Amino acid sequence: MKVSLNWLKDFVAVEASPESLAERLTFAGLEVEGVTRIGSDFKDIVVGEVLSVNPHPNADRLTLCDVATGRETVRVVCGAPNVHAGDKVPFAAIGAVLPNGMKIKSAKIRGEASFGMLCAEDELGLSEDHAGLMQLPRDIPAGTPLVDVVGGPDAVLTIEVTPNRPDCLSILGIAREVAALYGLRLNLPSIQFPETDPSAEGLKVAVEDAEGCPRYTARILKGVTIAPSPLAMRLRLTRCGIRPINNIVDITNYVMLECGQPLHAFDLTLLKESHIVVRRARPNETMATLDAVERKLTPDMLVIADAQSPVAIAGVMGGVQSGILDTTRDVVLESACFKPALIRKTSKTLGLSTESSYRFERGVDIRGVDWASRRATALMVAHAGATVAKGVLDCFPVEPEERSIVCRFDRVRDLLGIDIKNAEITSLFEALALTVVDCDKKSCTVKAPTFRPDLEAEVDLIEEVARMHGLDKIPAAAPHSRFVQGVNDAFIRATITCRDALVGLGLTEIMNYSLVSEKLLVLCDAARTGQRIAIPRPISADQAILRDALLPQMIETLGRNRSRQIAEAAFFEIGRVFFRNDQKAYTEEEHVAIGLMGPAGRTGFEKRSATAEADSFLWLKGILEALCRKLFIRVDERPAGRDQPSGLAFQELTEADPPPALYDLGCFEKSRCTVITLDGISCGVVGLVRETLRREWRLAEPVAVLEMRLAPLLERVTTVPAAERLPVYPSVARDMALRVNNRIRHGDIVSAIWKIAPKELTTVELFDIFTSNEIGIGFKSMAYSLTYRSGDRTLTDDEVNRLHESIKDRLRSEMSVEIREG
Amino acid sequence: MKAADILALKESALGEARTAGTAEALEQVRIKYLGRKGLLPEIMKGLKDADVSERPAMGRYANELKQELAALLETRRAAVATASADAATEAFDPTLPGRWRALGARHPISRIIEDAIRIFDNLGFTVADGPDIETEYHNFDALNTPAGHPSRDTQDTFWLESGQLLRTQTSPVQIRVMESRPPPVRIIAPGRCYRRDTTDATHSANFHQIEGLYVDKCVSMADLKGDITCFARRMMGADVKVRFRPHFFPFTEPSVEYDFSCHVCGGKGCRVCKQSGWIEISGAGMVNPKVFAKVGYDPEAVTGYAFGMGVERIAMIRYGIHDIRLLYDNDKRFLEQLAQ
Repeated sequence: MKVSLNWLKDFVAVEASPESLAERLTFAGLEVEGVTRIGSDFKDIVVGEVLSVNPHPNADRLTLCDVATGRETVRVVCGAPNVHAGDKVPFAAIGAVLPNGMKIKSAKIRGEASFGMLCAEDELGLSEDHAGLMQLPRDIPAGTPLVDVVGGPDAVLTIEVTPNRPDCLSILGIAREVAALYGLRLNLPSIQFPETDPSAEGLKVAVEDAEGCPRYTARILKGVTIAPSPLAMRLRLTRCGIRPINNIVDITNYVMLECGQPLHAFDLTLLKESHIVVRRARPNETMATLDAVERKLTPDMLVIADAQSPVAIAGVMGGVQSGILDTTRDVVLESACFKPALIRKTSKTLGLSTESSYRFERGVDIRGVDWASRRATALMVAHAGATVAKGVLDCFPVEPEERSIVCRFDRVRDLLGIDIKNAEITSLFEALALTVVDCDKKSCTVKAPTFRPDLEAEVDLIEEVARMHGLDKIPAAAPHSRFVQGVNDAFIRATITCRDALVGLGLTEIMNYSLVSEKLLVLCDAARTGQRIAIPRPISADQAILRDALLPQMIETLGRNRSRQIAEAAFFEIGRVFFRNDQKAYTEEEHVAIGLMGPAGRTGFEKRSATAEADSFLWLKGILEALCRKLFIRVDERPAGRDQPSGLAFQELTEADPPPALYDLGCFEKSRCTVITLDGISCGVVGLVRETLRREWRLAEPVAVLEMRLAPLLERVTTVPAAERLPVYPSVARDMALRVNNRIRHGDIVSAIWKIAPKELTTVELFDIFTSNEIGIGFKSMAYSLTYRSGDRTLTDDEVNRLHESIKDRLRSEMSVEIREG
Repeated sequence: MKAADILALKESALGEARTAGTAEALEQVRIKYLGRKGLLPEIMKGLKDADVSERPAMGRYANELKQELAALLETRRAAVATASADAATEAFDPTLPGRWRALGARHPISRIIEDAIRIFDNLGFTVADGPDIETEYHNFDALNTPAGHPSRDTQDTFWLESGQLLRTQTSPVQIRVMESRPPPVRIIAPGRCYRRDTTDATHSANFHQIEGLYVDKCVSMADLKGDITCFARRMMGADVKVRFRPHFFPFTEPSVEYDFSCHVCGGKGCRVCKQSGWIEISGAGMVNPKVFAKVGYDPEAVTGYAFGMGVERIAMIRYGIHDIRLLYDNDKRFLEQLAQ
């Protein structure tokens, strides 16, 4: 809402500076978003009459104008396109200072002397308009000080009016607040006008939908002359953001800005049978609105119709067919009240929001309907030469009751935490024009006027006290700890532990949007389209689907970083994914994803050597293992005991037994990924990004990623570890080197060892792996260090050798491995 | 063997000891002459067979050889040790780059959420959570924002085919918590919210809020001011001031918006705060009795405050980030800058 301060001063004689008023209003709940200074006292600027316009000899776009200034005639070089002899325009004499600080001096422009300046509106600080010279009414004598024509300095306050205060969508409403804040009297403008026969009864008004239109008034004004409205009115409208059209339309808008009541003017002769019906639109009815758009109407829309067809969409916009024309003589002035929800729905359906619909949606003052009609009528008499037919057609079947609200003084003090006297409370109410009808020591009863629909209950009155008394007067209580029965937030706290652990492992946290493009998801995994949740009417194709996995954006993020010359990155994201479950119900779930690119994890000069597939994969696997350890999940190559959870394990991905369709398998190279299981339940996938996908982002080197459900990871996070007695007897280590076929994996060997392990075997550690000519093609050498220890004595060399040899023997006989000796 | 031979041997031994440049070479010299099977023990062994007249001189010379060589070896050894230590010192270059594993970094948004959890933890708040895909009831109706309420306009909503929606605020968590338990309630609820905003420097279709709710006997607006001010000082620094302006939200009454004094200029006015000295943070207020009625709390028995705060906004002002998109761009260099 834009409010001209000069206009506001017509209603309340406030003396404060615009800035101080803005501050006061802001702290009373009417947030002033900006103050724009308009105009000045226009010293040395007068109305000039352009006597003649001649071409400039040296410039096509300039003209030489002779201008009568009231005292003399001067030559001015002018650059405006719209200058004509006979125009009355603002003339700034030599010595004048424009509001933008520019000082007018005599000057030579392209060789021609110029003694002053003809001004456009923006140069005068009146508006942003720089299309041409400001054209003033021609009947104003040359030499009249401009300030007498356009008024002195003004300021426009841009106020954010919250939806609960429709009354403040008007100068009057703001003036009421100002009056209350500054203890001033409200001045209402005149609504007096003469009436003449015949009466307005010649028009017939029927309200068919009294619920949708609880009040409808119509006045008839005859013999109007359509013309531009007075300059002062046009300036005010422009300042408040409304384009002037003609005197009748301008007056309806002017009064709407003044009191918040939208008005509409029809051409009486264009209303068939002088009939007005307020009804629902009929099926398949259409109407061209004033913006020249043919609108399809539906029966849940309220229209104003004549005997035949709709002439306006009630409360939203008038129709072309019955609008005010230059030839209009007789006018029907409508001032009505429509049901907010109905107008809102119509406006939404049509995608058409107007100053009028905006106000009706929020609610206009049903008691103010006739005041607005009278005010507009008085202005039309004064500025359009109207004569007013006697009386008003006022369909107002049910007079609304004023709400009575009881306010308990102690409740005010308790809720706000302030000490305020009863009398102070009631005087704040009275300043706001709320009548205190009853008052005792404990409470008072207040009548809420119809222009304050937001006042419904006691707490609404308490809010009035808070904002009028001042929020700054409410003390900030010393914060105190208060422990109440808490909600179960173990999961959220565990997530923090998990994040910290990942950061501790050297990963950087990223955060991606929940809405992604279908293209990206399909690129990564085309097989899962059916389970994804699409956004109806998305803002853009980039934000069309709720992500059902974190990996696509993880890979995209790595790619984006790569394109910025970042060769190395180790990222993780913890976030929600969304999908339809087997029953098609929307499901959301917390996931964690990790992505490694380049020599992440390596130090120093190691970074220079090329990253092999296995390096990336194993580094990521190590991160997962470390994370699991940190979260008390068992990580051990040794098979779990009977009462032990199996913890972290990896399961080959087989076509026959694919994991639940929870993961973006499409992102992975088929033979380079494995399913992550926790305690035997599959909950994620880890592996290398398939090459065809990497290429989309020019990622040349291997990229290792994983995605898994977060919840299973966090199950044991609150475990309190039990201290175990440290071993008393020393351990003994023995190495063995195996020559094995490449097909045999480390996991096969370790599990074979553990399967046959004596109880003294405590650890098995791979410490070397290599291939060479000596080992032979298709074979590798794997060296293990085995540690033995007894819980009850020191093992002798002979004992250990025997144990070690027995393991070697069994490996030799049970697996096709060769033990390399020496 | 003559005494003169021993003198010659002594010369060659001392000569070798003088030229030996390493500890190993010195040891070789020692072994050659003084070792168990060395030349000197050989001489001593042969002494009994030598000419009697030569014997005293030979004995004396042999002893001299032994002592002088031992002494020289000792000096040389020390000298060589010093020299090699000097060489090692020369080779040791402490200015080489350090070796270290990459440090991870928290995302500023999760960092701020966690800081807030910690701050409110001290005040006795626990952390509540709710779904991103919400019902219309929890997101709007129960929060006194029925269909047709103009407040819905300011929160342009992503509606889903099912009639559910992506929550436009974290406030539905208030409802879920109050539905599930009797008062008192003291929670914060961080989470992701969604609005149909076209992405630009200050808007993002998804963003994060932290909701706070305290319901108990006799909770007042003074408590709200106190707790928010406490939060502001711990999050932004001890000098931060907080101011409250009346506002409107359907689910609180009275409602306020609150601002923090600008941390960049300390309230004097600068580019960041658009010369006002203040930065708008978010909204708060006293829980509307209509909301209590929806969740079955007796509005006469309890009062409460609720607040919301925009996490991105706090991150942007705390770290001086001018474009919200940077928070979702995930440039490693950007994220590492903010690592704490």
